[in-house]
Amino acid sequence: MEASVIGIGWVTGAGFGWGGQGGDCVFSDLPLPQLARKDVFPEPNQRFGRMSDYSKLGLAALAFALRDAGLEAWSAKRAIGVVAATRLGCLATDLDYHRTVLLQGGGLASPNLFAYTLANCFLGDAAIQFGLTGSSVAINEGREGVDAVRIALEDLAMGEADTIVAGICDLAVPQGYAGALRLLPGAAFLVLTAATAGAQSLQAAADAAKSPPTPLFQRGESCGAAGYGTVSLADDGVLLFNGSAVGSLVELVQTALAGRQIK
Amino acid sequence: MREVCISAAHAVTGLGPDLESLWRGVLAGESAIRPLERFATGRYLSANASWIEGLDCKNGRSGIYPLLERLFNGFGPVPADAALLTASTKGCVDVMEALNGGGAGDPAELPMAKPLSWIAGRFGLASPGININAACASSTIAVARAASLIAAGRREAVLVVCMDLVSEFVFSGFSALQALSPELCRPFDRNRNGLTLGEGGAALLLMSRDRARRERRPELGLVAGWGAANDATHITAPARDGCGLVQSVRQALDRARIAPESIAAISAHGTATPYNDQMELTAFRALFGERPLPMHSVKGSIGHTLGAAGGIEVALGLKCLERGVLPATVGMLEPEEAGAGFLSRSAQPIEGSYLLSTNSGFGGVNAALILSRGEG
Repeated sequence: MEASVIGIGWVTGAGFGWGGQGGDCVFSDLPLPQLARKDVFPEPNQRFGRMSDYSKLGLAALAFALRDAGLEAWSAKRAIGVVAATRLGCLATDLDYHRTVLLQGGGLASPNLFAYTLANCFLGDAAIQFGLTGSSVAINEGREGVDAVRIALEDLAMGEADTIVAGICDLAVPQGYAGALRLLPGAAFLVLTAATAGAQSLQAAADAAKSPPTPLFQRGESCGAAGYGTVSLADDGVLLFNGSAVGSLVELVQTALAGRQIK
Repeated sequence: MREVCISAAHAVTGLGPDLESLWRGVLAGESAIRPLERFATGRYLSANASWIEGLDCKNGRSGIYPLLERLFNGFGPVPADAALLTASTKGCVDVMEALNGGGAGDPAELPMAKPLSWIAGRFGLASPGININAACASSTIAVARAASLIAAGRREAVLVVCMDLVSEFVFSGFSALQALSPELCRPFDRNRNGLTLGEGGAALLLMSRDRARRERRPELGLVAGWGAANDATHITAPARDGCGLVQSVRQALDRARIAPESIAAISAHGTATPYNDQMELTAFRALFGERPLPMHSVKGSIGHTLGAAGGIEVALGLKCLERGVLPATVGMLEPEEAGAGFLSRSAQPIEGSYLLSTNSGFGGVNAALILSRGEG
């Protein structure tokens, strides 16, 4: 059970980017960037500005990962799945929405905020933005994203999809809750493809892409097409990258980025 | 691929504390939908839900826990090597409400890791498990994932636990979206005007059929096929052509290696919103043509239980296959014209072995399961 890592994207307090662009993915206590549409998409995007911060965070990291893999542009919907691990999900949005419920006995409850009170909401945005018709789920787990990669590997092995995007997404712990909950905020996604089937389907997807990448965001000669390496799962559930154990999804991302060779 | 059976199924709903009371109530055309007493509803479109006494958040303890305690009461032993999958959209949302409103509570109770570890501890499971959050298809996808793991030989047993509460948080949201029916919901009715919320849970033990036989466990039914797909069309509305649902069902049929003609009954999502029900009818017509095919929705009896819906509907679906009867759709007075041949105001016989159960939800998610009759 193994897969090739062909794209990496991230948004953290230290910055945002994708593998082929250079830079490192560093999770820290620093505040997350306030993402604007132009930071993520070169063209106007009516929905992005209306999204919750949680959705913007997840969608941006996912977009960067797909860009790194050469899968951002599309003309026909694709059966690519997404698995996103999150500890707190959209708790910040939940609190914002609930404050509107507390006003006037719920009479001022915001429908726009409510639409973003599901942990999987940004996966719907991603499906629309990138034409992804595979299974898309958010998961809550306690293994720092390892389970997201595990599920992706299992689904690839079982033929549920040829390509799956797996990652983590969490905003900072909301004010007033930090004493009881701790995490390093940010989002990071990897594009994983079944070792054999992936190359063909990716090429087909790239060929089918309607428009060439916008120069502002062109990957250039990135690691994506060739792949960063191979991720697999040992019998005891330990995640391996190129045969060496990694303890979390972030460590997997950092190890893969450390070994990249940008031409 | 190994065969996957369900060896234990339990449900707690507004109709009662077990699967048998749910079955009897649905078959009798009863509804648990009634005026809410948990919070004031004066500013909302509806005053009704299918709710369960005693699930209030008390002293910072979520109502999820009394729900789980009732769900596991008499559930039976779970193999220690079973994986754990839960399905919930909002988990301990009542604790968040209490905290945000200045009440008692511990923020550490908010992550789904808490109910997961409580369940794992309750059954002595080695793994803490994961929660699947895929909106109203959460538990359908959890069951699909469990079946997939067992079929591929990666797991021998998986415990799937599905749960969601009626909270003011969710109630107000659907009201704000103008999605709540002011009356009782009327799935697939030509005059349907929105959904009614419900709360409840389901627990399902999936095992490889061989192991279940070795351990002489009951075989309530088989999970023969499964599929999941995204519409990639809209965040809160379904694709009008039902493309994601059609794709999900086709995957499930392929996995089960059966033709559409083998499906003998459908447990539809049937939320009673105009768009959802129309989408489902469009999708099922595309899949099954004009042949008569019994279909129902349980939402008129127990409300829309969100992340628990698919799990409860699987438990009920097993009963339907066992008894060979598909109950009527409670609340449907005048069947939608497009549902001719599917819908009936009375219970319909199931003449075949396969029942299709589907759910769809926010984020464009769709999921389908095909259940087949067990050997008891």
